[in-house]
Amino acid sequence: MDEKQLVRLAQDGSQEAFAELVAKYQSKVFSMAMSFIRNREAADDAAQEVFLKAYLALPKFHMKSEFGTWLYRIAVNHVKDVLRKRGRAREVSLEDVRELPVADENALEKAEAERETEARKSLVQRFVQALPEKYRDILTLRDIQGLPYEEIAQVLHLSPGTVDSRLHRARKMLKDRLAPHLGQEGGFHEM
Amino acid sequence: MRCKTAEKWISRELDGRLDGRSRGLLEEHLRACPACRKAEAEYRSLQALLRPGKEEAPLPRFWERLEPRIREEQKIVPLVLWERWALHAIPAFAALVALAAALLFLTPQTPEMSQSESLLIENANPFSETRGLFEEKRPEARSMMLIFASLDDNPAARRQRP
Repeated sequence: MDEKQLVRLAQDGSQEAFAELVAKYQSKVFSMAMSFIRNREAADDAAQEVFLKAYLALPKFHMKSEFGTWLYRIAVNHVKDVLRKRGRAREVSLEDVRELPVADENALEKAEAERETEARKSLVQRFVQALPEKYRDILTLRDIQGLPYEEIAQVLHLSPGTVDSRLHRARKMLKDRLAPHLGQEGGFHEM
Repeated sequence: MRCKTAEKWISRELDGRLDGRSRGLLEEHLRACPACRKAEAEYRSLQALLRPGKEEAPLPRFWERLEPRIREEQKIVPLVLWERWALHAIPAFAALVALAAALLFLTPQTPEMSQSESLLIENANPFSETRGLFEEKRPEARSMMLIFASLDDNPAARRQRP
């Protein structure tokens, strides 16, 4: 059954159809929440709320865009609300920089390298979260979530030209802000 | 090409959105400009650091946790809708009552006429009933007539026409 049929059935009250849509998009919505919130439990809560909101708003969805794009829009708005309510307090749980078990010399080196990469990734994420909202949003959707320009334009209600210029400014701002931190010892390079 | 333009084009190139001719011009500039070459390397590394390693899955039993919440919401929604309806209905009803009161107040009413006025309009003598009263000689009979006249609900209807 294609997605439009599932959406129509869900709009007619079929929970089975909605369950299929949830199964299809739960990881994407969770990943998006996670890339903004950086905490598994909070991101999971946010993802649940997003699907609840989507279910209640289904009668208002008129198939003018793809279901996924519509859902992403709900997700981005909800996650932004969550961050606003928290006063943008950044949460980095222990899972973000977890300890790796080590067995021998090679494993020790590998573990050290992975830990280094994790630390760099974590630092970059913190800087992304500290960007002005409009830059943080676009960078998260493009460089972390990998959404195409056209979908970003629909989700954020921007023209493709604005997506292009804003994305460039966001990347430049992030690079400039990170330069003093990642510029030394190995530079920007991923390990 | 200016370095500022080159930096913009690097960003576009990261997304594969640069056409062939522009890509050629950018490569030419990068060969000649170490600063832009360094910037390009930094942008690429940054993008690699931003990219998540694997798609992350939510906590287990996602749907099983979501389904009861949906069912709960389904129960609440009619109540919420009714509350919303009531919130709009109460002021609407109050406005209707106010409008009806205003219409009643503003519509010119026909003033209620006294019995004498009604009889005068009908060209009847308003004193015809009292005439018999004054003509009665016996005090007891006059008292009785006064008592009956006071009990009469609709004296005008039973008045004698002159």
